[in-house]
Amino acid sequence: MSTLAGCVPGGGGGGGDAEGPITIGHLAPLQNPLGVGSKRTANMAVDQISENGGIMDEEVDVIHADTEGNPGTAESEAERLVIEEEVDVMVGTFVSEVTQAIMDFVAQEGVPLIVTGSAAPSTVTEFIGDDYDQYKNFFRTGPINSNFQAEAMVNYVNHLNELHGWDSFALLADDAAWCQPFVDTLPGALDEEGYDLALNQSLNINIDDFSPVINDVVESDADAVIRFFAHINASPFLVERAQRELTFGIEGIHVTGMHPAYAQLTEGAATYETTSQSGGGGTTDITEETLPFVEAYRERFADSDPPVGHPMYMGFNTYDAINVYKEAVERGGTWDYANDLDGIVEAMLETDHTGVAGQIQLYGQDAEYPHDAMETRDDEGTISNFPITQWQPQGALECVYPEQHATAEHMEPTW
Amino acid sequence: MLSGLPAVLINAALISALYALIAIGFTMIFGVGGVLNLAHGALLMAGAYVYLLLARDTISVPVFESMTLHPLLAFPLAVVIVAVLSYLLYAVIVQFVEDNPVVTFLATIVVALAATEVVLHYAGSATHTYTLIPDGMLPSTIDIGPVDGILTVDVVGFVVSWISIGLLWVYVTKTDSGRAIRATSMTERGAQLTGVNVHAVRARTWLVAGALAGIGGVFLGASTSATPNMWLHPLSLAFIIVVIGGIGSIKGSIVAAYLIGFLQTGVGEYLGQNFRGILSLVLLVIVLFVLPQGLFGREFDHE
Amino acid sequence: MKGTLRSALLPVWNVLCMLLAPLDRALQPIANVYNRTLGGHFGEMNGLQFAVISLGFAAIATVPFWSPFYSETLNITFAVASIWAIFAMSWDIQSGYTGYISFGHSVLSGAAGYTIGLLILHYDPSMGPATTIPVAVLASLVLGLVIAVPSLRLRGPYFSLITLVGVLLFTNLIFAFSGWTNGELGIHQVDPFTYEPWVRYYYMAIPMLLVALGLIYISRSNVGMVLVTIRENERAVSSAGLDPTKFKISSFVLSSIPMGIGGALLVYYGRAINPTSFVEISNSIEIIAIAVIGGMGSVVGPLFGSFLFFFLEEEFLRDVIGDSSLRTLVLWLFVLSVLVFARNGVFRVIWHGLGAVRGDSE
Repeated sequence: MSTLAGCVPGGGGGGGDAEGPITIGHLAPLQNPLGVGSKRTANMAVDQISENGGIMDEEVDVIHADTEGNPGTAESEAERLVIEEEVDVMVGTFVSEVTQAIMDFVAQEGVPLIVTGSAAPSTVTEFIGDDYDQYKNFFRTGPINSNFQAEAMVNYVNHLNELHGWDSFALLADDAAWCQPFVDTLPGALDEEGYDLALNQSLNINIDDFSPVINDVVESDADAVIRFFAHINASPFLVERAQRELTFGIEGIHVTGMHPAYAQLTEGAATYETTSQSGGGGTTDITEETLPFVEAYRERFADSDPPVGHPMYMGFNTYDAINVYKEAVERGGTWDYANDLDGIVEAMLETDHTGVAGQIQLYGQDAEYPHDAMETRDDEGTISNFPITQWQPQGALECVYPEQHATAEHMEPTW
Repeated sequence: MLSGLPAVLINAALISALYALIAIGFTMIFGVGGVLNLAHGALLMAGAYVYLLLARDTISVPVFESMTLHPLLAFPLAVVIVAVLSYLLYAVIVQFVEDNPVVTFLATIVVALAATEVVLHYAGSATHTYTLIPDGMLPSTIDIGPVDGILTVDVVGFVVSWISIGLLWVYVTKTDSGRAIRATSMTERGAQLTGVNVHAVRARTWLVAGALAGIGGVFLGASTSATPNMWLHPLSLAFIIVVIGGIGSIKGSIVAAYLIGFLQTGVGEYLGQNFRGILSLVLLVIVLFVLPQGLFGREFDHE
Repeated sequence: MKGTLRSALLPVWNVLCMLLAPLDRALQPIANVYNRTLGGHFGEMNGLQFAVISLGFAAIATVPFWSPFYSETLNITFAVASIWAIFAMSWDIQSGYTGYISFGHSVLSGAAGYTIGLLILHYDPSMGPATTIPVAVLASLVLGLVIAVPSLRLRGPYFSLITLVGVLLFTNLIFAFSGWTNGELGIHQVDPFTYEPWVRYYYMAIPMLLVALGLIYISRSNVGMVLVTIRENERAVSSAGLDPTKFKISSFVLSSIPMGIGGALLVYYGRAINPTSFVEISNSIEIIAIAVIGGMGSVVGPLFGSFLFFFLEEEFLRDVIGDSSLRTLVLWLFVLSVLVFARNGVFRVIWHGLGAVRGDSE
């Protein structure tokens, strides 16, 4: 077969190239507001890098590919990026099944993949954690994976307990891989802290009727719901809760609720809901880079189609990922993954980057989560790169946790 | 607190009325032209998004400025627009293919898929919610008997659905133009012999069914949310209801809508969400095999 | 409307005939050789038809050699098109021929896909395609029979509905047993044949051509004729002393086996086995759309339909329209216009046109 390959035009395929420009492939669900934000910040990062002389004096390009949140589409888009566009690195991917679907192809090609969305720990442990050499071109620069998120959540719950005296909680989650850590560890952890787990449900990600769930929460008499929704869009849940003026808190993670105009979109029904989100929704100076970045974004896209305001979630991480890659290439002096992947890997692992979503460092080969974003901890060992925001009355978005980043105190729902 | 059987019964009764409304539009189209309109779900979706366009400034399309009309104005306007869209669907596409049921079947599902892309393009994959009941006009929840906290929008949806069904009943039994629809759905040839213009009747039916879909769509979007895929679930629901009730029968649709409404709400409450869909599907399979003509219908037979 | 369209195109048609008729005559001797030898099994053709179809198949057989002149990704696009060509032809031999429209064919390929995935995940990770593919095809066949035997008593939309229910149930079950099936994440543990695009193209295209050959042969045999008669007039089949149910079931069997092959190829192409890529209703609808643009009830039509569909979606429209939803919208509008203006399919129109350049028919 290999002899034949010579006479097939283009039979070699792929491989990237060692000549400029350096091309970045960006994969995201571009119909989703979150993907739009990510696309824009990728453009911002690339423009800024170009203005400052590019990477190692090479021009930098970004090519966007729409995964449509669909694994099959993502697979062919990833191939297209590598084979036709000959990208030198890929950033993005939001849905965990999309990330995992392209993983084998990406490993085969060796093109660096920097994940900026999906948080399922299995994306790390079942691939690079299982076969380091095969998947060593994989990196995650943020957010912290959901095992760390689960740990951070417990600290946050303690904070809520101090603040409002809440001690019974209802746990709701997508029935999906990224939620496994929450479902597995949170009940035990909450119990250990002396809290009452009043309800624990994994919901079908195609759910369309929340009334029974809300009724269960009401019956359980929990002080707050801790919910983890990335697939599920809980807007109808919030609307029904607001109309019935129910006063349990809504904590945890809700990706849809990260939309910069979410309070307005739900006509105020989102008020009092909180979500953890990368970059703290641009409300607070996670690092000294955060607010200038958000300001620049706001200005540049003020007149664009919605969503305007701040980039949600992946937007922060994608921007950081591109800068991390730039620094690594310059540090290692190569972007030629076909011939010197190890050089790129080595340089990537030396990352210590002050990003817009936090200080970024990566775990090494022997860690439990190789090449994954490190959590940052404060003096007491509490995870600190896990900012939580709350929609407060009149559509104000405030960072309410951790305390060193908080712009307002967490509010208990009252209608 | 909202719990136990009374709440389930009331919620089921409320949602079933909406199901009935959706199913009746679907079955009427079938009755007069033998057309299974798989774009019926897309018309529901159109109802929700047109309402959004009229009443909220959250999405925008070219040419048409998005505006913030009062719900009492936006609602009837949305219904009229959907009715017109439904009519156009018939006039531009369906009437040229309706001689072949298979082609019609396929053409309407393709229309639904195209509609999904239109919504994706202009409104994105994000979910849109809206409250239909204007602030201060009615309280947001109502207590019925022992049950507290019933959403007003569901109650209004129930009332409007029944008023619409009632008006439809009056229309098809008391007016000449409505009676022509009923006659055509019973026997097309007979209607033709008595001087009914079958073509005009069909167009009128699409208009009426579109209006019903518009009403159903606006309330469906208000009670859950508007998304680019919101058409599939109600479409399969309408399909299930119509088959159980008997294709072409309005009475059958109402009865079956209540059957399915109670079944789904009960199962969702007592067995969990995962089984909600499964049990209705199983019931449908049983009905198909045991009673293929449905409760009140005649069996479909395309010559 | 159609009448005016036809009369508007008539002059163009006449010019085309004038130009092509001599060519057809020149090619006729070659076609005659074919007609005498294989024509009985695969259908007779005139010179032009024979030339075009030979060119078509030659183009498919040599994609990796000419595709780089168009685009680097054509090998990928057409490898996927080959798999979907198998699906569309399988659908066609059942739905297109008998008129019993199935909305649930993705269940059959899904069964094959999940069989391979579950075997590798839970039984023996080292199993190779030589073992898994036959089991997968068998699973697809069994499921096909489970659906076909009771459902085929139902007529028209009732049959379509029950197949649709099959898809919904299958999808629900994957989520209900997510501990076993990996739910939404799916199964990615199966190693693909290869990632080398041109080699992979042949891994997909060769089985596709074999399936095509088999299905064309069957569709031109007596079985195919009975299936068409079922579509046109089911009573006639009974009155000829044949049992239509038996033939309808065998059409489902004929369809399930290649669906299983296609599902297995999709796995070894490298697709992670998950509900979105394998089972969900959109997959079934795409199969139907491909068969429709190619021409239902012809087997060869859906084959070329798939190549046209994927060429438009992944190559041509991609270059013209950047936005993915707009692109898909245009694609669906194209399918819709085929349904309205050329309901027998693009390729059947071309085919009959070619057959009639010398004015023998039409």
